Amino acid sequence: MPKSIHENICNEGLFSKIFQKHYQSLYAYLYYKFGDYLNPEDKTQEAFTKLWQNCGKVKPEKAKSYVFTIGNNLMLNEVKHHKVVLQHRQVKPKAHTNESPEFLMQEQEYLQKLQRAIGNLTESERTAFLMNRIEGKKHKEIAAILDISSKAVEKRIYRALAKLREEIKEL
Amino acid sequence: MTREELIEKWLDHSLTPEEFEAFKQLEDYEELTKMNAALQYFKAPTVDVEAAYDAVQKPIQKDTSKPTSWFKPLLRIAAILVIGFGAYLYSTIPNVTLVETQVADKTAIELPDTSAVTLNAVSSLSYDEDSWNENRKVNLEGEAYFKVAKGATFSVVTNDGVVTVLGTQFNVKQRDNLFEVFCYEGSVKVNYNDNPVVLKPGQRFLILNGKQIRNEKEMLKEPSWIRNESSFKSLPLQEVIQEFERQYNVTIDASNVDTSEVFTCSFTHTDMEMALQSITLPLQLKYQKKQNSIILKRD
Repeated sequence: MPKSIHENICNEGLFSKIFQKHYQSLYAYLYYKFGDYLNPEDKTQEAFTKLWQNCGKVKPEKAKSYVFTIGNNLMLNEVKHHKVVLQHRQVKPKAHTNESPEFLMQEQEYLQKLQRAIGNLTESERTAFLMNRIEGKKHKEIAAILDISSKAVEKRIYRALAKLREEIKEL
Repeated sequence: MTREELIEKWLDHSLTPEEFEAFKQLEDYEELTKMNAALQYFKAPTVDVEAAYDAVQKPIQKDTSKPTSWFKPLLRIAAILVIGFGAYLYSTIPNVTLVETQVADKTAIELPDTSAVTLNAVSSLSYDEDSWNENRKVNLEGEAYFKVAKGATFSVVTNDGVVTVLGTQFNVKQRDNLFEVFCYEGSVKVNYNDNPVVLKPGQRFLILNGKQIRNEKEMLKEPSWIRNESSFKSLPLQEVIQEFERQYNVTIDASNVDTSEVFTCSFTHTDMEMALQSITLPLQLKYQKKQNSIILKRD
């Protein structure tokens, strides 16, 4: 990694860049991992607020892992408080046109199955898998976020895929 | 390349174009792409990054006003000082309780150690509640009857003298020219002009116009005024009249009468007519009532 010219991120321009770059991605991570119930958006904001408050202590190259760790911890605290079982994902059906009603119904059914199957994944499988499939992140990137090896990420994603396929077939 | 490898590469978004062609040929291809397409419906909602940035920045910018960094610690120090000073004042300024009675009024007080005090009309009693446990001391002006709970020395401070006891029943009466202590139970020490006198039950200590007057022993259970009757034994009419004024909220004009005449009588606090008669009949006096004033005349 090229050595940064900034010692820390107490620079509004720099902070803004980091913000633009990682905000959506942190939000998505928390969303996939914990669902929508515990307000991942709030926690994302809080994590970035903390980052700015502690800007003097955080090096630019560490900023991303800093907010991800903080965001994750904030969510975990919230989970502890609520003990919520996390199964969810709001399906947003697209307004299909010129499709037969039968096809639409099948499609709807498929989505519901998929939703259930995703809910049945373990939290670690679901997070890695959804970040990979929906956010289009490579194994290496996910590994960096989750702080595990790429191999482990690969295994999780593969296992998640296998589980989903099996469950959908079964139903 | 095997099917597994292709899928894994697909999962890592790292298929080369040739590999992708091979992947397309797999029987899994359709299922996987269908699922992949469907999965996009589960995408996390897009957040408004700009709005979020503003939200994060706003509270922060207030914090970054560095020039006042010395001000906050100073405020803290000041707050601590103020609290400390307040606590000091609060703990050192005596927490004085004052009880006062008006004309024709009596009141019963219970002191912190359950000692009971009955306060006669136009009297006041004060004590410091905070230091009560170390120092049982009350200040008295007027007349009061004490039933003191056993314990440390209990003192009644009056303008005329200090009465100290350990646990007894006694009455203290301190009026203009009169200072009287009567002991009903236990023993009472009266300190008048630095001359301590110890009273036993039934004994009376009386100072009238600065002179001590000897009295014989009288066995009484409690002062009569507790039962709404004032008794006087060999006292000048002046004292009787003053007490009457305190009990009935009237002024008595006794300018035509010799008020230094000593006599013994008692009057009730509940019936003015009767009370007047019990004073005037033995002395062969006549009285005339005018609203709130009474004129005494020789017969």
